[in-house]
Amino acid sequence: MVTSPRTYVLPDDVLSAVLELARREIGKERLAFSGHDEDLQRIFSEISQDSKYDLLRLFVFSTSTSGPRPYSPALSDSVSKLQLAGLLGRQNPDYEVLFTTPSATRFYEEVLSHKFSRGQIDQLREVARKFLTRIAPI
Amino acid sequence: MTADVASTRERLESRVESFVKWTFREHRPGRSHGPKVINDALLGNLYFSRHEVAVIDSPLLQRLKRIKQTGLVYQVYPSATHSRFEHSLGTATLAEKCFNAIQERASVESRRVHLDSDRTKGDLGHLRMAGLLHDVGHGLCSHASEQIYEHLSDLQEFKQNPIYAKNSPGEILSYLIITSPTFRSWFAENVVKACQAQLDLDLVGQIVLGRHQDPARHFLAQIVSSPYDADKLDYIARDSYYCGLALTVDLPRFYSMISTDVQDGFGVLVLRSYVPLEQILFSKMMLFGSVYHHQKAKCLDSMLRATIQHIANNPRECKISLDGRDITFADPVDYLYMMDEEFFNQIHPFGDEFVRRMTGRFQRRELFVRCLEISRRTVKKKSWEESFGRKMLLDLSDNPALLDGAERTIHGALPDEVKRKCDRGEVLLSVPKRPNLKTDFARVQTSPKAQIETIEKFFPVEQWTDAYAHNKWRSYVYAPNEYASAVRDAAAEVLRTKFNIDVDLAISNETCHQD
Repeated sequence: MVTSPRTYVLPDDVLSAVLELARREIGKERLAFSGHDEDLQRIFSEISQDSKYDLLRLFVFSTSTSGPRPYSPALSDSVSKLQLAGLLGRQNPDYEVLFTTPSATRFYEEVLSHKFSRGQIDQLREVARKFLTRIAPI
Repeated sequence: MTADVASTRERLESRVESFVKWTFREHRPGRSHGPKVINDALLGNLYFSRHEVAVIDSPLLQRLKRIKQTGLVYQVYPSATHSRFEHSLGTATLAEKCFNAIQERASVESRRVHLDSDRTKGDLGHLRMAGLLHDVGHGLCSHASEQIYEHLSDLQEFKQNPIYAKNSPGEILSYLIITSPTFRSWFAENVVKACQAQLDLDLVGQIVLGRHQDPARHFLAQIVSSPYDADKLDYIARDSYYCGLALTVDLPRFYSMISTDVQDGFGVLVLRSYVPLEQILFSKMMLFGSVYHHQKAKCLDSMLRATIQHIANNPRECKISLDGRDITFADPVDYLYMMDEEFFNQIHPFGDEFVRRMTGRFQRRELFVRCLEISRRTVKKKSWEESFGRKMLLDLSDNPALLDGAERTIHGALPDEVKRKCDRGEVLLSVPKRPNLKTDFARVQTSPKAQIETIEKFFPVEQWTDAYAHNKWRSYVYAPNEYASAVRDAAAEVLRTKFNIDVDLAISNETCHQD
């Protein structure tokens, strides 16, 4: 059975790395920010307009333009998967606040930092900085 | 679009065209069709026009009678033997009800929506035809096989094109079938010419994909493909009815709340109240918990995956010859040729000893047993909360090669005397993806003058699905009963050492009825 090599770096790997690198940029124990899924869709759609962020193509590939607002099922699935995996949490009572967990940091250190090349990590760090300008860390 | 994606498209189109030709190979269009009233157990009398009856009687729709709507779930809920065929009739009917509801709502709100209600050529005609044809891309066991072939390279590459980003593999195949040369030619002769129905198959195909060539009419596509489309309205009601579950979707109330407005130049569906949508989401979550993710349903899906994987990996010994065509399941279109009963009953005998043993198990319902549960309840708290093992486990559901590797590792860890008797394909790890409860943002507009907002602003749909996932999500290890305890011990050891997931065997054993 021939399956796609694309599956070796998963969209949620990219999202997890961006969020962890953003956490490192702000120097806090966790990255917490307010935002519904719709806000994440808009933010990543805007950042991915810059073609130099080719790693975001994992999302761009899947961004549908059939309706009024861009919508990436891969991004939506990634948020859900990271929550189920325990790398991303959502805070009560309004559920608007998303936050990274200590497991996300360990996953980056032990797995993702080896999965991506130096150049890719630089690119993801740039994306993380742009991401931070579009959210309000709590 | 890159050259690779273009060539992938051409390859898939060519294979789909061969399939459609094969499907129509013995078709002899009969006498001129008249309109029909079809009595549906769920929805009552369904009315179909002459040109729709021609399509219903075509081999493309008739083959859907041989594909069960809920795949292998009938082995768990015996009455769930309903097919994709009746679901397609229901979807076309409910699409019209949505269409009418939009016009009625516009009328009471003194707004004008310019829609053509002619079933033979207008907006309604295209909408109903899309409802009828939306599932023609389904094959063996419906979504059970879709979970397997979605990983094949051709479809993965195809989905890199943003046009198909939101679409399931089955929807993409439906679109390619609808727009195939053979079906176009049949449709032109038997629908357009014979029944004077001026329907454009390109538009029908676009609606199936959730698109419309006229952005102002985007909402028509949403009636067939959106968070509360006619497809979902039918299958939630139909699946729960045939499984004998008392779930409620108040369709009349739902229709009364549908309206349309314009957002960024697109005509979009909006709900005047979010309450009917809550009901739909609740019902869908209940169906996932009780039916689609039932532990035995997942066991059956895993057994089907192991059987198909074995055939794909051993094409010389296991290929299925079907009217001159070899099926090896290495190509997404292969899954369209094979119908449920033909596969499990070995109508055209195929396969080696392993495949025959597995199909025999399906026939006699001699299913594997669960020997280990991996869930929030069974995994030790520290390991569940502090490790990233769950992420590594979930990655297996995105990569069949990794899943195969994990199962091989468990098999390799069995004691030698068990390993000699237990086939590698008899050690199965099921890692369900999180239930997909969302396909885009549902929009709410409480009055014609109010702002259009996403459903998340009204109730935390994400949190509901998260809570569901955290509490209901379970991964299982399955094996034949005689190897259950050995496989359990090997799996627990592999999970602990390779994934840092420490399962409390006492709790898991209780759930899995193991000693």
